[in-house]
Amino acid sequence: MIRLENVHKTLGGRAILNGLTLEVKNGETLVILGRSGTGKSVTLRHIVGLMIPDEGRVEVLGQEISSHRQASLPKIRSRIGYLFQDGALLNWLSIADNVGLPLRERNLMPEKEIQERVEEVLSEVELDGHGDKLPSEISGGMRKRAGLARALVCRPEILLHDEPTSGLDPISSSIINGLIQKLHETGITQVMVTHDMSSAFQVADRIALLHSGKVIALGNADEIQKSKDPAVQQFIQGLVEGPLGRETSGEFEPEHPAKEESDLS
Amino acid sequence: MKSTVEQLGAIMARIVGPVLSLLRRSADSTGFGLVLLARTALNFPYLLTRRRTRDTLDLCYNYCVGSFLVTSVVALFTGMILALNGGNSLEELGQESLIGPIVAVSMIREMGPFMTALILTASLGSGIAAEIGTMKVSEEIDALRVMSIPPIRFLVLPRMVALTLVTPVMTIFAAFIGILGGSLVANSQFDVGWLSFRNDALETLDIVDVFTGMLKSVVFGITIATVGCTQGLLTRGGATGVGQAARRSVVVTFLLVIILGYYLSWSFLT
Repeated sequence: MIRLENVHKTLGGRAILNGLTLEVKNGETLVILGRSGTGKSVTLRHIVGLMIPDEGRVEVLGQEISSHRQASLPKIRSRIGYLFQDGALLNWLSIADNVGLPLRERNLMPEKEIQERVEEVLSEVELDGHGDKLPSEISGGMRKRAGLARALVCRPEILLHDEPTSGLDPISSSIINGLIQKLHETGITQVMVTHDMSSAFQVADRIALLHSGKVIALGNADEIQKSKDPAVQQFIQGLVEGPLGRETSGEFEPEHPAKEESDLS
Repeated sequence: MKSTVEQLGAIMARIVGPVLSLLRRSADSTGFGLVLLARTALNFPYLLTRRRTRDTLDLCYNYCVGSFLVTSVVALFTGMILALNGGNSLEELGQESLIGPIVAVSMIREMGPFMTALILTASLGSGIAAEIGTMKVSEEIDALRVMSIPPIRFLVLPRMVALTLVTPVMTIFAAFIGILGGSLVANSQFDVGWLSFRNDALETLDIVDVFTGMLKSVVFGITIATVGCTQGLLTRGGATGVGQAARRSVVVTFLLVIILGYYLSWSFLT
């Protein structure tokens, strides 16, 4: 369903992905773990074509996304949902309008059906009755659920989550994890990037641990927990000393920002 | 001890590096801006859809309301200053009747479009850069791309068309208010009658003056919107980046308005 083969990506002179190879099977929930700056979000951005690899192949839904920079991207993207870290809701639209935005802008169905679908999906994420509110009027957890509703509204085959529980209280995190598990039962393929270990062990079929732009461990929750690899143990136990090092790097900035903005129309 | 040559080399490297980086960034954003303008023009047919037309009209209304007060005040005092300075010199020559023509031609050909462009750059251009920049850093632009909603159609096209329509409208308004301010001073300070001021002004003005002013305002409107959208879309690095984008959009637009204004005046005068 999703295959990344020997993907390399350099941003701001730093190799972020360094020969990343990863496969996500149909219907599975894969969680990508790793320290900040190890390229987790960059991996998600490659899957959805927001970034193209300097080297290597990215194949999604049987199509090579790294060579579909312009023409076929919208078609592939229409089968993918993406939950951004802070929901990425448009602040001048109500929650219901945000959720219905892709349906309206792409004229996918008549207005009456859009309203019904929006209500249905808001109910799925337990946001009934909040459709008229603006993003600024709801909590962080609700914004993430609204973002999830928007990602689900077009019934995607793949759902990508970028740190869905970061910055949330344990109850809101549990609600999100519950929704991800519920979605798993529907057979949707999910890739989730997170630092939240309990969330990862709760929802994952398989876990990949990223370090220096490569997968250094891959297995189910039990295999990862019992791994003898010191890097894996350092990460899951949160040890300060170990092979992963103490410091992390900051944000990556592309050297030529204009080149990264080529698919705006 | 480093030799003087090595020290000079190090100093040069410190200066040359950032200058080259600035030049590369400027070239990047200039190219991006021109491509953005061309792509927006190619997307123009999408303006005819109900949603984009409504968005554009909403923006036109907001832009007019948002810049109305400041444009009125600046235009009024610009007209008054023109009349006061011109009147003082012309009074010595007994040519007060020329105050009207000087104020009218200045406001319609040069000061109206130029001043309006500067006001709209500071109030709307920087606002567009900050708005799109904030959307950029909070991943809203990426979200649009992932949802297969082209940001050019959804964000850039309505803003560009709205500013291109609003700038000439506000320029006409500014010119009118400026002339009104000039006539107030001419009447109160130099005893030029209202009717005489109006007749002298209308006699001097010709269609080329109005056309020059309008053409400038349209070019300035496109420039303000293009630079604002470009800087917004190229924003990086959180809140600081948004601030830098807004500042850069003002600086770049001011420069372009002055340079383009000169060449447009030059092309009409020659």
